[in-house]
This record gives sequence, C-alpha cells and structure tokens, in this order.
Amino acid sequence: MSKDIAKEEAPSSSGVAPSESPTFASLRGVQWRINLGILPRSSSIDDLRRVTADSRRRYAGLRRQLLVDPHVPKNGASNPPNPVMDNPLSQNPDSTWSRFFRNAEMEKMVNQDLSRLYPEHESYFLTPGCQGMLRRILLLWCLRHPECSYRQGMHELLAPLMYVLHIDIESLSEVRKLYEDQFIEKFDGFPFEENGDAYNFDFKKFSDSLEDEIGSQGNAKKVCSLNDLDPEIQAIVLLSDAYGAEGELGIVLSEKFMEHDAYCMFDALMTGARGSVAMADFFASSPAAEFQSGLPPVIEASAALYHLLSIVDSSLHTHLVELGVEPQYFALRWLRVLFGREFSLQNLLVIWDEIFSEDNSPLNKVSKDSDYFSFKLEDSFRGGLIAAMAVSMILSLRSSLLATETATSCLQRLLKFPESINLKKLMEKAKSLQILALESNKAPFSSAFGGVYKCKKSPTNSLNVPSGLGSLKNNRSLLPDRYWEEKWRVQHKAEELRQNSLGKHPPSGKKRWVERIKFRLSRTESAPSPARNEKCKKEHHSIRRCLLEDLTKQLGLEDVAENGGCFEDSNLEDHHSVEVQGEGQNSANKGSIATIDDRCENGSGAVVSEEKSFFPDPPIPPGCSINDHEIYSEKSSPASNLSVDDNGDPRGRSPGDLPHRVSLPSDDVSHSPLHENESSGKTSSTKERRNLSGKFQWFRKYGRSNVNEETSDKHGGINEAAKPPVHDSKCSTADSSVAGTSCNSHPTGKGDTMDQNMMGTLKNLGQAMLEHIQVLESVFQQNQGQVGSLDNSSRNILVGKEQVTAITSLKELRKMSNLLSEM
Amino acid sequence: MVLVLALGDLHIPHRAADLPPKFKSMLVPGKIQHIICTGNLCIKEVQEYLKTLCPDLHITRGEYDDETRYPETKTLTIGQFKLGLCHGHQVIPWGDLDSLAMLQRQLDVDILVTGHTHQFTAYKHEGGVVINPGSATGAFSSITYDVNPSFVLMDIDGLRVVVYVYELIDGEVKVDKIDFKKTAASTHSAH
Repeated sequence: MSKDIAKEEAPSSSGVAPSESPTFASLRGVQWRINLGILPRSSSIDDLRRVTADSRRRYAGLRRQLLVDPHVPKNGASNPPNPVMDNPLSQNPDSTWSRFFRNAEMEKMVNQDLSRLYPEHESYFLTPGCQGMLRRILLLWCLRHPECSYRQGMHELLAPLMYVLHIDIESLSEVRKLYEDQFIEKFDGFPFEENGDAYNFDFKKFSDSLEDEIGSQGNAKKVCSLNDLDPEIQAIVLLSDAYGAEGELGIVLSEKFMEHDAYCMFDALMTGARGSVAMADFFASSPAAEFQSGLPPVIEASAALYHLLSIVDSSLHTHLVELGVEPQYFALRWLRVLFGREFSLQNLLVIWDEIFSEDNSPLNKVSKDSDYFSFKLEDSFRGGLIAAMAVSMILSLRSSLLATETATSCLQRLLKFPESINLKKLMEKAKSLQILALESNKAPFSSAFGGVYKCKKSPTNSLNVPSGLGSLKNNRSLLPDRYWEEKWRVQHKAEELRQNSLGKHPPSGKKRWVERIKFRLSRTESAPSPARNEKCKKEHHSIRRCLLEDLTKQLGLEDVAENGGCFEDSNLEDHHSVEVQGEGQNSANKGSIATIDDRCENGSGAVVSEEKSFFPDPPIPPGCSINDHEIYSEKSSPASNLSVDDNGDPRGRSPGDLPHRVSLPSDDVSHSPLHENESSGKTSSTKERRNLSGKFQWFRKYGRSNVNEETSDKHGGINEAAKPPVHDSKCSTADSSVAGTSCNSHPTGKGDTMDQNMMGTLKNLGQAMLEHIQVLESVFQQNQGQVGSLDNSSRNILVGKEQVTAITSLKELRKMSNLLSEM
Repeated sequence: MVLVLALGDLHIPHRAADLPPKFKSMLVPGKIQHIICTGNLCIKEVQEYLKTLCPDLHITRGEYDDETRYPETKTLTIGQFKLGLCHGHQVIPWGDLDSLAMLQRQLDVDILVTGHTHQFTAYKHEGGVVINPGSATGAFSSITYDVNPSFVLMDIDGLRVVVYVYELIDGEVKVDKIDFKKTAASTHSAH
C-alpha cells in the first residue's frame, strides 16, 4: 500500500499559501487536515504540533465522557446514583441506563454498516483494530450531534480519512527506514556502562566508533545533519520528533493517535468547519431553517446539480427531466458519500484532494428575502467544485444517457458509474465547470430565470417558485408584441396537427404524446391538495375541469377507435383530478385564472354545463366584459412563451416535442411557493392546462364541424331543443339552459356503447362551438355598447384587438366545422 | 451485562386481573435478556405476554398453574452464575431460609429464586443468594398480610450481580439495589 503512495503522488494542492510553510504533498493526511481546517496553515512545525495535541486532548476527553459504562459511577463516589432514577428499566431518558440502551442501538446500526465497509480492501478495513476505531469515532460523533444521529453513509466518509492517515504512517515508516539515524535519539539507546559524564568521553573511542558507523553503512551514506535533508523529509522528521513541542502528543504522524486525528477530520468534514458545505446537512431529512427553499438540503443540492446541468448541457437535462429522472435518485448517494461509491479508493483520494483543497468559506450570504435564489451548495468554492464534479460525471455518461428511453435504465447507468474512466479528464472538466457553477449561483431571479428559455429548462419540481415569479412579469411586458405571432403559430400548429391526424392513423410520435398526456392526466390525480373554499376557487376548478374535459374529449376523438371504453373512465377520473388540482391552485394571480375562466367559457360552455350536472356550482359570472382585458393577456402569455419557445429552439418541431414546449410555459404561471409534491402535481395540472390551450384551437375546429353533424344526428332532436335557447340568450344564461339539456344528453351518452359515447362527445363539441359563437356575438354586442362608455385607455386599445381576435376565432370555428363535416 | 427479570405469583386471572400499569409501562421488550418465573401465572395468556418481553423464558410449576407440564425445579447458567428456580410450595416450612438453603445445595446453584410467600426477601447465605421476588401483581396470600406488588431485576456482569428490587408501595414505584459479588472460592470444586 505504501508503494501506491509513491505512484499516486497527489498533485500538490493549490490551496497551501506561503512558500516557506512545508508542503505536504506526499502526506495526504497532514494536507487534508490543513485543508479541512484542523491544522493551521502556518509555517512552523511547532504550531502544527500544538494544534494537533489540543485536538487530540479534546477527543480523549470526549471519549471518556460519552462512552458510558453504567456500572461506573460518573462523578466518583460522591453521589451514588439514585436507584429510582438509575435502574435499568428506568423510563427516564437521562438515566445512564437509558443512554446506555440508546447507544447500544446506535452501535448495532454502526456495526452493521462497518461490517460491509470496503470489502475489497478488507486487509485494512476489516481488521478488528481499525473497525474498533471507526466504531468509536462514529459513535462519539453521533453522540455529540444527537440531532443528526447515525445515518448510513457516514462510515463511508470516515473510511478514506482513516485510510489516508494510515498511509501516512506507512510512508513515515518508510522514511524512518531510510533516515533511521535522524529519528533515533542518539542518547536514548546508549548502554549505561559508560561512565555517566556527558562531557568526559574518550576522543579516541569516539573516532573509532564513528569510523565503525561509517564503515557499517555500506554504501557510503554520510552522516548528515537534519538541515541537509530534503525539506519534506525534514518536516517529517520534525513532526515525528518525540521531544518536540507537546511531546508525544504532538507527533503529527502518530499511529497511537490515529483515532483522534481521524475524529477531528471527520468532524471538520461533517460540520463544514464554519464553511458553506457541511456534509451533515446532506444527511438531514428535514429542511433546515436557514435554507431558502423549504426543502431538505440534499434535495436542494440535487436541484443545484440539475440547474448547473441545464446551463451546461440543456438537451441532456431536458432529456432527463422528460424521463422523470429526478436528480436526487442518484445525487443522494453521490453527495452523501462525496462520490465514495462511484470511484475506486485510489481515484477517490485524488478527487478528494481536489475537493478539499478548495476553500470552503461562504462566498455570498444566502439571504432570505431578496429576489435571489441561490443554492447553498454552490455558495463556496468547494461546493461549486462538488457540483461541477457531479455534472461532469453526468456529462461523461452523456451518450449512453441520451440513448436510453426509460427512466430505470437511465438510473441504472447513473448509479453504476463505470470503473474505467479517465479521471484526469473528469477532473479537468469539473474544474472548468466550477467557475460556471459559482457564476450561475450568483444571478438573481430575473437573469437566472428571466430568460424564458432558461426558465423552462429548469427542473420543474422545486424551482417553480422562481421561474413563475420572474417570467410572469416578463409576460405582461411582452404582451403586445408577441400576440399576433402566437396567434399565427397556434393556428399553424393546429393545422399541422389536423393534417397529421386526418385520414391516417396518428404517427407513433403523436401517439406517444397522447399516451404521455394520458399519463399526466392520471398523474394529476395523485396529488391531493388541501381544499379551499373561496368562491373563485370553485370557479377555477370548474374551469380546470372543463379544460381537461376538452382534452379528454379530444383524446377520445383520436383514440376512440382504440380504447373507447377507457375514455369514459379517463373522463371520470379527470373530473376528480381536475377538481383536486383546481382546489390546490393558489389565488395569488387571480387575473390569469379568471382569464382561463373566460376562455373556457368561450369555447366550451357545454362542457362547463356538463360539469355542473355533477357539481352544482354557481355559474360562472357573466363577467366577460370585465375580463376581456385579461382574456387576451392570458392568451398572449402562452403565446409569448410559445413564440420565444420557438425562437429559442431551433430544432425541428416534432410532435413529440410539442407537448413539452407547450407545457413549459405552464411553469410561468405557477407562482406560489409550494411544497415539492404539491408543485409537481400542480405543474402537471398546469401542463394539462397548457396542453389544452394549445390544443384548444384544434379542438374548436372539431367542435365546429360537430355542430353541423348534429343536425343530421338522430339525437338531434334533443339538440334542437338545446340550440334555440342557446341562440337566444347570452353567455351566462346560455350556460344554465344548456345545463338542463346536457343533463339529458350526457347520461344517455354515458351508459351506452362506444358509438354513443362518440355521439355524445361530438354533441358536446357542437354545443361548445355554439357557445363559442354565441359568446363572440355577445362580445361584439358588448363592444358596440361599451365603446362609448369606456374611459380606460387600455380598454379602448384592446377593443380593437378584441374585434380582430373575435374575427380570427370565428374563422377558426369555420375551419373546424369544415373538418367535422368531413368526418 | 445481562439483565434477568425474576417474577412470579401473578395469579392471573383468579386473584388479580393484570400487572399494575406502572409495572407494565416499565417492562418493554428489548432490554431484558432472560425471564425466570417462579410459577402461579396461572393461564397461558400470561406466559404469552412474558414471551413478548423476552423470548428466553423459564417457568417452574406453581400449585395453581393451568399448564401442568412446567418442571418443578430448573437450573440455568448465565455468565458466571448458576441460577436455580423453584416455586417454593414444595419447600416446607414455606419461606424458611434453612430449608431453602438445603434446596440450594441440592441444586448446586449460586442464586436460588423461589416464590410462593408473595413477599420479597433476599438473603445472602453461605456464599450464595436466595431471592424471593414476591408477587408481581400483589395477589392475595393466606400467609402474608399486605402484599405489595414487586419483582426483581438482576444485572449479571462478570462476577458481580446487582439486584434491583421494584416495589409498588402506595402507588409509587420504589427501587432498591443490592450488590452481590461472587467470590471465586465459592464455586464448588468437582467432587
């Protein structure tokens, strides 16, 4: 093992400051102790020895204090323990027995882990001496820090530290062999036959003995004094001098005190030594108070990794996010053990050299109430390097990851990091990324996430908060410019999709997308949120419901040939899921939600009424006029995102990509700090919404043609009855009237065969289209009525726009009706 | 550090319904390595309950026990100590130290645990210890007035045994501790 040290000479670390301080490039143990902050970076050997001795004393004291033997009274015989308190069955948690039992349990856990430590290096690690030391260190540390008691993985952090110390001792013994005379105190071994005088020696005898010594050396090695030695060797000698400062306790490389030293290193590593990166945080399961996000630190750090990855290699990042590979699945292990499980021991030592040589002091204060969101992991050089290391590891697997299609195989590749990797390259890449990591962490919201491109690439789970807040403001400002672009694009897309689906069976890509949508729909069900009782919420969730219903109907149209049966089920479950999602929605930005309100109303009044048959909610207020402003702003927001989307995304527009891009702007509208689970559920719901909005145009086309078809339908009789009231009244009243009719129509569609389902859906579509037309007419009427009375300049501006948009939507309606008629 | 629980004479369900709740709260599984029970449980359910506290359970037969197949006496070795177990109604006069000492010599044990008197006693006698854990439920006894619920926990550690006595007096758990050391000379040499 000591030969390995000679080969694996660590590159002399960059952090050691002045030139006169001894560099311990070959003594990893000492170097790491300096880097971790245990030993001072001072120049004098004496200082090192003193600090070493102090830390060892502390450890010894701790050991005596905490390793409890209940038989031995703690304070001598001064106060014999009260039997009532101190009996073995005592419930009192403070009694020595309780502590004893607790320690026994912890010890059992530690033992379990230790027995499985580094089986490939068992010659060292599984020796009882080493195991005993490791056990004691871990127990003591956990007793000292009861808030994060022993967790699996801590032993793997400790083991390399111990190993490094062991290597040092071995190299020391090598040096001893070579320079024996330096170590052996000349006067210690003298036999006592000599007369005791120190000064009275026989010169002749002395010269004889000197010659003997020289002669016996063999290969003409001169007796050299300490100062002639290599400075490194010199340092080693001085460090191991039994008579130096602090005596034996101060011998820096000492086998006797290996346990003490290892404990100090472990403690420094875990608590971060007042720095930014504290490994103990990664083992904590609950969110720490000082973290900005309400997440456990390790989750946040994993998010930091993904954030960095998104900056560096966005395609890989999106690929992983799409597959649903959450960063903490693999990053947990990477971070908790500092890559201990991914590399062989020798490689790991090299990596840790680099990591420890980085400074750990926090760079910017992670403040709570600024607009910033910065990751604590990237808040120091060391943390930045850790993040960069992880990202470079992910990048090294890039090609194999991009090739996989399922999350499990991705995770397999990530978790079984290949043995034969070019470590040097990995480290170089990591170094280069480190700068980037630190830079990116400094950016405030607006620049880190404001570029809409970036925001949609960020991991949707935990970073919804920042992306929402930042880009929402952007959306408002982008309103006028992007609106027409979006309109055109949406239409274009809809036409494209229409062409794709018409006449032929949908291509596999689209099918996959459809399945994904279905998958997401079913997933929305799984995120229950606390119900809120505000009236607007109920309105919102009714909107949500109807939007989802739109989509399901659309899906039903596509897939009814394949699985008409399950359509009904998905329809039903979407009712539940939508309700759940709706209730979870925050009302922070009521305007945008109200706009969805209206849009849905515009397009699918029949659907809304349908849901009313299930849930007797108050009808959507006829606030069309009031909310017109927001209708269009809402429409433009996805529009703006979509357009920027397309601008920023030069890749071809495949159907598989479409849902992703459409869904990404949903990130913008999610805007409240939610718990991770909630937000994931919500994002999927907002994804649904966006998907629906994107598909809305297409849907409307279908619906339109349905209207025509209905007249020839045998169920047309009922519809005839529905239509006149629809035509006669305005939007709000139309809702209630159609409610009645749809109550009739829907149950019939429900219980019957697939065909009737189809008929029912087509009917509903037709009704929706009718509603749409109706609303548009009413809008025009209102416009005409209100032009004179409106004072608000913005309203005036938008009135013109309203008209134009109404016209365009009418055109689309006509197209859809044509389509349906063709069907 | 072996913890051995010694108890007996519960007389459940005839004379007592259950262990006192304060005792029950103290007896949690996982802490105790052995249970020795002098007898008179009396029903199977009590045995099952004791088994949940510790899988290593030794019982001798008391005169009211339902289960007829418990032995009359039992000996076991824990650490450096030999323990003997017997209900005690067989040893007449009941509770007499000399007679019990005879039994101890017969069984050749260091620690003899007997019951039947429903009264806690612990004697050091001829290099050995005779312990009566009393009645864990405080059941009625015709030979003892004012029975307090009590049981005994022995902490055997090498050549030293610490006996903790838990008694429920006036609703409070009182704990007492007695130390016994086994002298090496007292181990009987082979004849």
